[in-house]
Amino acid sequence: MSLFDTLQERDDYERMKSEDFLANLSRNLGRNSEGELTPDVATHLSLSAEQVESRARRVVDDIVARADELMDLAEHAAAEAAWNVFRTQSTLDAANYIRRVAQDVEARTMLRSRHSVLDAIGIESAIYGTGISLEVMALDEGRSAGDKEASREMLRQQAINADIGITGVDYVIAETGSCVLLPRKGVSRVISLLPPVHIAVVESGQVLPSLDELFTLRRQEFMDGKLGSYMNLISGPSRSADIEYQLVTGVHGPGEVHMILLG
Amino acid sequence: MEVKTEQFTEAASTALQDEKIQANLLGLYGGFHQARLDASAATHNWEELQERGRAIKAHTIANLDIYLRMAEENVRKAGGNVFFARDSEEATRYVTELATSRGVKTVVKSKSMVSEEMGLNERLEEAGIESVETDLGEYIIQLADEAPFHIIAPAIHKSREDVSELFEEKLNAPRYTSIDDLAQEARRQLREKFIAADMGITGANFIVAETGTLVLVTNEGNGRMCTSMPRIHVAITGMEKVVPSIEDMGIMLRLLIRSATGQRISSYVTAVTGPRKPDDEDGPEEFHLVIVDNGRSRLLADPELREALYCLRCGACLNACPVYRKVGGHSYGWVYPGPIGAIVSPMLTNLSAAKDLPYASSLCGACKEACPVKINLPRMLLYLRHQLAEGANYPEHRTSTTKERLAMKVWRFASSSPFAMSIASKLGRLAQLLLPSDSASSSPIAAWTRHRALPKLASRSFRKRAQGDKS
Repeated sequence: MSLFDTLQERDDYERMKSEDFLANLSRNLGRNSEGELTPDVATHLSLSAEQVESRARRVVDDIVARADELMDLAEHAAAEAAWNVFRTQSTLDAANYIRRVAQDVEARTMLRSRHSVLDAIGIESAIYGTGISLEVMALDEGRSAGDKEASREMLRQQAINADIGITGVDYVIAETGSCVLLPRKGVSRVISLLPPVHIAVVESGQVLPSLDELFTLRRQEFMDGKLGSYMNLISGPSRSADIEYQLVTGVHGPGEVHMILLG
Repeated sequence: MEVKTEQFTEAASTALQDEKIQANLLGLYGGFHQARLDASAATHNWEELQERGRAIKAHTIANLDIYLRMAEENVRKAGGNVFFARDSEEATRYVTELATSRGVKTVVKSKSMVSEEMGLNERLEEAGIESVETDLGEYIIQLADEAPFHIIAPAIHKSREDVSELFEEKLNAPRYTSIDDLAQEARRQLREKFIAADMGITGANFIVAETGTLVLVTNEGNGRMCTSMPRIHVAITGMEKVVPSIEDMGIMLRLLIRSATGQRISSYVTAVTGPRKPDDEDGPEEFHLVIVDNGRSRLLADPELREALYCLRCGACLNACPVYRKVGGHSYGWVYPGPIGAIVSPMLTNLSAAKDLPYASSLCGACKEACPVKINLPRMLLYLRHQLAEGANYPEHRTSTTKERLAMKVWRFASSSPFAMSIASKLGRLAQLLLPSDSASSSPIAAWTRHRALPKLASRSFRKRAQGDKS
């Protein structure tokens, strides 16, 4: 008999399995049943919903109040994490920087997400006349599930073929020089992964002091039902030291990464 | 994976005489070990993180039944499926049947130590499914048909020449002399697999009970590929990887990554909660979490060994261990090498067959010192030795012979009173005249003297001399 003959059989089997498995653990822990949980103070699970909310609110206030200072810290940490960092106040400079990167790597096709900061930069005019094409991600809802699947397949092909992927970010972490990408309309998991070059554009007010603030905000988002299906922390280029401890970049993900800090 | 823990002595001798392995092991101390020291020194509250991380693990493991149920519920709420496997056979069967029923032809795998326990690749191949390791080190090991040499650097015993030869033989690649070229060859080969694959299999560094989130730490990006490209994602993990809250992740990630490679953070940290949502641009349609016991409940049941389940699998104790740095990873004969392996492997496989592993330590304490969650490894190694010798907790695995136990009883008596001691040392001085030379294999104490000289008893004992000086 296969485990997957019918859905009902599978469900019954799995439910039986998990009860059996967990009961065995209780026994090995020397108790008859799971009993009541009192989270230890060491874990953040011991915080109440109100505490989480007030912590999250403090984080949000803090990152706005300290935006300039945090941007300085991010600039430094991102460079240490081997991002090529470009800081500017001007969207025009940012667009020209993207054009220069594209020309340096002899890119033919760039793919960008629909992060609103990228609308503001005006990459199209900066690359006008260079022969470099810029595609903008758009998942077509279509009229049927089949249409949507076909559109997904097209997006995937775009990412496979692109020479450069350009995204905004949800956060940057000053402690580690990481950019954080969450699911949004017009942002895919692979746009920052498949192309050999990734450019991330950061706005003022997006920098968090450390990993702790990120996870506090994420916990609040979880409580609001907005955790999303994934989160990617990206901290520099794809790396490996699997042969002779020698660092090489660009093993599966991008070997060249740029962070543009606006502000 | 085939258990070869019984061959520790022979395998260690072979490794000790292998100049290439010795040369490649030399890099560990100056490399990962030093990087860990630097990273922890640069983290201002490192000690506090260690205490907190340990307390989180201790609390979670003490309530493992509750936290696993919470994790299960939340993975299901996020649209994923959870399967609890008591042993590696159940886990293997689940994954293989899932792959078969979904018509999977190609599987891409990101590093998972539990899948090594299961020998999953072989089983998938038997079912006619191609299964490709995608971590550069694991890919090399798979092509060479070997076991991982180190938890986080599985092919660290191979030189660039070895890898180049391997790629030439198995992939028909040209001879490369640079590591960059080798990495780019792997990138090209594996990119095709990522695009073609129907199923991605990963391990898990953490499972967050509160949210049902899987957290993966990688540097190459293969973990992201395996969780993003194929239409089915299966994560296989040991049951000890659960952490209560997503807010605990800051602490745990710092401890793990800074102890493993000494990086402030790895290139990628990927958190996955269920399959893709209807509006997501991409991601897998199905998400399955396989939570594996496979002998771990034996560690849970023994209060003396329970803290082995706090392990984050960072590999720091391997790099710190003077024994591991000489005998290397393959000598330990199963998935987990080094000090943590010397505790986990015997308990997950067979204590009797792995009886040499708890002795593969000088008890110098470097492993405990290196551990990010302060696991008292030397204490547990000593405990296992005691159990093997005369303890009552695992009687079926006791290895000492009646003769040895009798000899120890005599020793205990002889050293318990001055009179008995003086008689015994007189007898000893006589007896040593009758013993053959140290090198003779016929000697009744040949096992003791094969690798060391038996000290000669002096003609006048220390006690005699001390008394003489006083008078």
